[in-house]
Amino acid sequence: MKSSLLRQAWYIGLLDSLPLLRDPMLLVVLSLISFLPVFFLFLFSGGTAAMPALVGAIVLTLAFIGLFAAQSVYFYKHWFRFQDMFVASPVSPIAYTLGLSLSTLFSSSPSVILALAVLVWNQPVGLVPILATLAVSALLWLSMVFAGFAIGASTKNTRRANSLPQILGFVIGFLPPVYYPLSLLPPSVQPFALAIPSTHAAQLAKHYFGLLPAPLTDGDVFFGWGYLIAFTVAMALLVMRKARWVDP
Amino acid sequence: MDVVEVDELGKTYPKGTQALKDVSFRITKGEIFCLLGRNGAGKTTLLRILATQLRPTAGAARVFGHDVLREPRAIRPRISVVPQEARPQMMLSAWDHIRLMCMIRGMAKEEALRRTKLVMEEFDLWEHKDKLTADLSGGLRQRVILAMALIADPEILFLDEPTIGLDPLGRRQVWAMVRRLTAKGVTVLLTTHYMDEAEKLADRLAIIEKGQLAFIGTVDEAKAMAGTGMRVIVESAKANGNDREVLEPKSNTEILEIVQRSLNDGRRVTFQPPTLEDAFI
Repeated sequence: MKSSLLRQAWYIGLLDSLPLLRDPMLLVVLSLISFLPVFFLFLFSGGTAAMPALVGAIVLTLAFIGLFAAQSVYFYKHWFRFQDMFVASPVSPIAYTLGLSLSTLFSSSPSVILALAVLVWNQPVGLVPILATLAVSALLWLSMVFAGFAIGASTKNTRRANSLPQILGFVIGFLPPVYYPLSLLPPSVQPFALAIPSTHAAQLAKHYFGLLPAPLTDGDVFFGWGYLIAFTVAMALLVMRKARWVDP
Repeated sequence: MDVVEVDELGKTYPKGTQALKDVSFRITKGEIFCLLGRNGAGKTTLLRILATQLRPTAGAARVFGHDVLREPRAIRPRISVVPQEARPQMMLSAWDHIRLMCMIRGMAKEEALRRTKLVMEEFDLWEHKDKLTADLSGGLRQRVILAMALIADPEILFLDEPTIGLDPLGRRQVWAMVRRLTAKGVTVLLTTHYMDEAEKLADRLAIIEKGQLAFIGTVDEAKAMAGTGMRVIVESAKANGNDREVLEPKSNTEILEIVQRSLNDGRRVTFQPPTLEDAFI
């Protein structure tokens, strides 16, 4: 009965995502939240504002889905108590983490692929910009998965496990210039917006699709990637401190 | 053969709460060992340490001769746990839960299917296999969790309050399952605060009080140690509840005297053996 790590992760992911696939309302809601602003921007401003917003929505869908890991972690630990069953078994903590992280990513992929198809249809680009946008989104997703794990592992309160990701989602999604251009903000506020990682992810993705009013300089691109990587590392350190396989 | 060895085990939580202090005992293979105690006494803490889910802060605990802190990987493939108040996912069926648990524990697909069917039949879950657990009763849901724990054929099964919230029939089904397991040589460590459960199941029991071991031994030894003997209930032949005496004689001679006196008075005498609950209280 030798079990590989990836196999364990796959079936843990399936255990977590099957209920969502059978009753996908929650994922529809999550997708709607991030794509709703695109709809209104399209209604009121037409395609010019809607296309950059669609890039933002793709980036944010993955970020929301990453934060959503908080609920899986919380419920597996404190509600279903499956984490305790897995700890006292040959299941690896890495497989467990990977499984819970990837489950929501798989479940959300149809809406992201659809949005990407609409975007490429309207704004044709090569494969590299598409891959670069997906890489930026994946990095933001990873940092949000870590944040989600830190929240889910450190709270013992159902309401907090549900509400904190939503508040964080609002802070990273709707306040900073993800749907709208950074230049719309007053210069004095822009540094604050640049402190939020989703700003960098959205700026980079829009840059790769050629949807910024002025393209980013090489320095801006380098700084954006650097900021996202540093933020992801910081979140990884946070989760290593907060989430424990064996309770202290 | 001792499969669990606990020596002067202690646990103080990071916020300073001392949950266990100087706990020592042994559990032998094939035994049903019950941990009894009030809520918050330290039963779950002790079980979680032995199941490698929680770090002890003092003393040592070994399962199959392996230290729970230093060699948990040698222990985990040979044990299973049913955590307190564990529950299945409502949108999954019993079949989904058990089959996926088989796959997660590393069984090949065919073996997982065979094992899932076998365990479901053992737990009388087969007729409910396609129902979502949202549509199952509390007792059936608990059986799903137990089945998930037992797919791996563990050598030691840790059950943390496994019958909490179950109706009398559901409790008896769990007890029967525990007995079937021990007949196959499985060792069971069970926490409970139901005295009748411990009385019916335990080969030996430990009573934990405020994190310390207050008693360890058999049920009969617990009753004897508490000094609670046979109760004699004397009441009028037409019992209406008003004329009822509950006596606790200290010797056989005293019992005979009570019986003789009661019969002379035309009163009815019944005997009530001591319960574990009497001893516990």
